[in-house]
Amino acid sequence: MTRTPEPVTRRRRLRLRVWLPTAVATLLLVPLGVLWWSSLLPSSLSVMQMGSADFGTGGRPLEHHHGDMHGMSVTDLVADPSRPPDVRVDLHAARATLSIGTAQVSGYTVNGTSPGPTIRAREGQLIEVRFTNDSVPGGVTLHWHGVSVPNAMDGVAGVTQDALPPGQSFTYRFVAAQAGTYWYHSHQVSHEQVIGGLYGALVIEPKGGTPPPDAVARAHTYAGVRTINGRPENLVVATGAGGQIRVRVVNTDNATLPVWSSGPVVVAAIDGNEVNEPSPVAGQVIRVPAGGRVDLLVSPASAGMRIQLSKATAVIVAAGGAEPAEPEQPAARFDPLAYGRPADVGFDPSRLDRHFDYLVSQLPGFVKGRPGVWWAINGKLYPNVPMFVVAEGELVGMHIVNSTSEVHPMHLHGHRVMVTARDGVAATGSPWWTDSFDVQPGESFDIVFRADNPGIWMDHCHNLDHARDGMVAHLAYDGVSTPFLLGGPAGNEPE
Amino acid sequence: MKRFYAVLAFVVSGLVAVQAAMAVWAEAGLFLWISRDGGAIDQATLSSEWQPPFPEAAGFEIHGMNGMMVIPAVALVLVVVSLFAKVPRGIAWAVAVLLLVALQVTLGLLGHSASIAGLAHGINAVGLFTVSLLAGLRAWRAAALTAAPAESVPAVA
Repeated sequence: MTRTPEPVTRRRRLRLRVWLPTAVATLLLVPLGVLWWSSLLPSSLSVMQMGSADFGTGGRPLEHHHGDMHGMSVTDLVADPSRPPDVRVDLHAARATLSIGTAQVSGYTVNGTSPGPTIRAREGQLIEVRFTNDSVPGGVTLHWHGVSVPNAMDGVAGVTQDALPPGQSFTYRFVAAQAGTYWYHSHQVSHEQVIGGLYGALVIEPKGGTPPPDAVARAHTYAGVRTINGRPENLVVATGAGGQIRVRVVNTDNATLPVWSSGPVVVAAIDGNEVNEPSPVAGQVIRVPAGGRVDLLVSPASAGMRIQLSKATAVIVAAGGAEPAEPEQPAARFDPLAYGRPADVGFDPSRLDRHFDYLVSQLPGFVKGRPGVWWAINGKLYPNVPMFVVAEGELVGMHIVNSTSEVHPMHLHGHRVMVTARDGVAATGSPWWTDSFDVQPGESFDIVFRADNPGIWMDHCHNLDHARDGMVAHLAYDGVSTPFLLGGPAGNEPE
Repeated sequence: MKRFYAVLAFVVSGLVAVQAAMAVWAEAGLFLWISRDGGAIDQATLSSEWQPPFPEAAGFEIHGMNGMMVIPAVALVLVVVSLFAKVPRGIAWAVAVLLLVALQVTLGLLGHSASIAGLAHGINAVGLFTVSLLAGLRAWRAAALTAAPAESVPAVA
């Protein structure tokens, strides 16, 4: 059989006309589909298998196998179980409608109020908190922000425990090792529960003697309404007999809290770490990062003192007379990098055992099936985020770079970190120990910390909306693993 | 297929018009809420599950959803359709629309860190509107030419 060449060519051309566009369309759409599909999280996922292990540079080679579920469990990392508690507290979480001034806001309470009660202990005491979920449908946990608790007590749903469904309790036990101002909050669906009011303050007073007079100012914004201690109004406090008061400012919001005062104040502590030889600060804005705390020593003159916590609310330290007028917000900024005097920290911060990079950028892609431009850590989107692996005892350095358009308040659980440089400029003031520090757009930070608290620890952005969108990495100690799962039957959703 | 191509291109230009309207509407509402109603807003407000108490705030939401999801999706479908629609130079025009959309999203996001990108975002919007409208008109004309045999219509260039 013979065919004329013409129809064959035409048929071939026709075939090409169908197949070529189909192939191009497939090449265009299939990668998108694959990206979307691979961004969907399985119904349960262990952080041990998430992303990839990052051993950094330096240090002895670690045998940690990513995805390994053996070794020591986080549940074994507890405070001495035979030691009786010195401070015992019962806390109950509930879903509630909050009255914020005249507004009604749907939120959460701890023991019937938001914020919950302030827990007070002395340095060295063992705190035992029995925490019960009375009625929060999605489950709850409590995280002790800034406190180096044993890992099992860290309160991160899906990493150190399961979220507590309504009716269940969990007992947190830890030693109040270092005096300072801290706070507690839920770490289950935290982007909803914390801003909704499931938080409170923890004050650890120095041991010995009578604690100096203090006032706790928990700044929080409920559905757009600025408050101090849950009230949309100024907090008026009085000094003690010595004419002085320590104002403990806790920023429980997702955004930086600007603080400025009508007269000089002394920044006595940052995140529960005493500043070495602090000097009075005046005419500067102290920017408290999300999750951060500052202790201000105030000795007002005869006219009293007014400390603005943003423009909307203030702490007024009364001195009997008229209220001081609202001070103008200064343009100058307080800088902890050069505040106070250097002191010996007991190690050489330049002799690191291990070093990591924590680079934050913005990349287009899918996170949890949602298209958009998301926070990436070391070039990868959630859940392909790094797990930084360390060995106990190492002195660890981390270089953090923010190449995004928004500020990121960085928070490493279970450790205090010391800032050694910002944008390559070495710290010259008091050792700047912190657990919540703002990395502004374009900035870089160099920090060091001692790996002295074994466990699996979150290392995340405390703008909890950013954490929900995947800005969450972990620090893992070699040989430690967790039996808990993200998702799973408990519905763990730490962010 | 040509008409489908044309409709998709018109949808892009229509949605771009919606984007402009939403942005200015929301901006006006925000300004009135501040200047007339004494509203106050800061960084903490924005990240506290704040429900803006003025209705025009929906414009910000719509602008974001429309610009980040709906328009890119339609532009992507337009490129896919162009592969089959046999509109003369239709693929090039559809790809141009998609590229302008990608540029527009990028400029919009950059505007969050550098306001100057906002200027370019506004100008590029006009470009995207024009190109998508022209792409639609070309395809529509091509469809008309295909539907009616060439000999029965007056000669058109």
